[in-house]
Amino acid sequence: MTASLAFARDTALLTARSLRAVPRVPERLLDVTIQPIMFILLFLYVFGSAIHVPGISYKDYMLPGIIGQSLAFGVIGAGVATSGDMTEGVIDRFRSMPISRLSIITGQVMGQFCEQVLGIVIVVVFGLALGWHPHLTGAHAVELVGLMALAMFAFTWLGVLCGMLVRSPEAVQGAGFIVMLPLAFLAGTFVPIAGMDAVPRAIAHWDPISALVATVRQLTEGVHSSGSWQLVHPEIAMALWCLVILAVCVPLALRRFNRTLAG
Amino acid sequence: MNERPVIEAIGLTKRFGEFTAVEDLDLNVQTGTVVSLLGPNGAGKTTTVRMLATLLAPDAGSARVAGYDVVREGAEVRRRISLTGQFAALDKNLTARENLVLMARLRGRDRREARVVADGLIERFAIADFRDRLVKNLSGGERRRVDLAAGLIDTPLVLVLDEPTTGLDPRSRQVVWSTIRSLIDDGVTLLLTTQYLEEADALADRVLLIDRGREVAAGTPAQLKAQVGEQRVDVIAADGAEFERLAALLREQFEISESTEQRTVSVAAPDEAEDLARVAATVAQAGIAVDEIALRRPTLDDAFLALTGHMAHEDASPEEVAA
Repeated sequence: MTASLAFARDTALLTARSLRAVPRVPERLLDVTIQPIMFILLFLYVFGSAIHVPGISYKDYMLPGIIGQSLAFGVIGAGVATSGDMTEGVIDRFRSMPISRLSIITGQVMGQFCEQVLGIVIVVVFGLALGWHPHLTGAHAVELVGLMALAMFAFTWLGVLCGMLVRSPEAVQGAGFIVMLPLAFLAGTFVPIAGMDAVPRAIAHWDPISALVATVRQLTEGVHSSGSWQLVHPEIAMALWCLVILAVCVPLALRRFNRTLAG
Repeated sequence: MNERPVIEAIGLTKRFGEFTAVEDLDLNVQTGTVVSLLGPNGAGKTTTVRMLATLLAPDAGSARVAGYDVVREGAEVRRRISLTGQFAALDKNLTARENLVLMARLRGRDRREARVVADGLIERFAIADFRDRLVKNLSGGERRRVDLAAGLIDTPLVLVLDEPTTGLDPRSRQVVWSTIRSLIDDGVTLLLTTQYLEEADALADRVLLIDRGREVAAGTPAQLKAQVGEQRVDVIAADGAEFERLAALLREQFEISESTEQRTVSVAAPDEAEDLARVAATVAQAGIAVDEIALRRPTLDDAFLALTGHMAHEDASPEEVAA
């Protein structure tokens, strides 16, 4: 067996092992889906009546936003799961076995990626069930799925890196929410960025989650955002953010993994 | 022995910041032998075996497994060594059998072969009763057995067991011991770390006593025990007068040592329970009042006391060694 074939085989085996946990630890999937579902219910039926966005129903405005921010929240799910795995002995077993070490991390990423995809599908189905009608053309649908996959891939890598650096699932969860929640609220998910005060508006203009939210909204509802370069060109900005995250996280994660894990 | 040792470490050293976990450790494990690293928590046992299994890079010194350098030829080393860690190295969300099948597939077996290998191990390690339970729902002893089995998919050139019985109840410990004994009977080369003198004694051909990352003593279990003292029966007299009678009585029949201060007479007890019974019968017959009659085994603490005390004459200052 050539090295790359062995690598692909090991990755597939380790991805499968990661996915087997999904039905057996349902709370892990629940962690990924419960937060967006709560937000959907809260903003649709509690706060939403007080928010008016010109030219579009609030449901059609907010649901693409939730989907956009959910892509980024994958970082927490992937981080918590990875951190948990790293504190278990099983990763040490894999590392001491004659398999490609790279496959341990790619298996982890692929497993987490699939779990995030499942989470997003649940959120989208939930939104559709509540009466969201995205206006998607075929080309836009392809573009949207591609960009969403890229974003989930990038944020999964970021999460896996965080999970390896912080070896406590609770700490990853806590720190993740402290960083991600404000960014998600600022990202124009629930209210238009244009109406924000100067300081939050400035942050929102360059918040990476803003690009995700604006992209999903533009492709599903044809709503164009404005205010900064990345909001005018959200698809390009989203792709760039993802590539930057990957360019930084992949080498760091690999280095971290190959270096000795203390303890 | 002119064969090359399976494990050969020279001057192995590992630091974590200011803390030196392992310092200048030499280690030799010959083919077909069982070597035990014996020491308390934090002595550097786990760090040492992690360096040998290529999970940690040493800061100084070198180690070879089957002639392959653990730093430069890690992949070759990993092909020949199997490490079973202190914490069960299994996927807790898979069943015992699924874990074994996964490990076998990662070692290159196809689906069918992997099942055959897993089922063979399930039988050999008596896992059948809980083979389809998730590992997270297994008891400590059950988990250790699956863990041991997972380390033996391919017969490794050397098996490394890191504290295989720490945290187990006495019954599970016996089961794990008998599993390890059967591996030893099969001729496996084994490096075993433990906190229990008893365990090293029961399983190992050679013991390295280590403390704070350094070797304190080395030898066969018999040699170490000779330095530590054998198991003994301690008889504590009810008062000073009874102690005098007790010492006089036992001196006639047994090999004893006595401590007037603690009113204790210690009788060498190579035959354990039999000796205990004989001493107790003798004392009862003479009608001497005693507070306690008990069989005592030397513990790791006794070993350290005896051995570091002994080393102190020849080696470093007593504080340094005994601290």
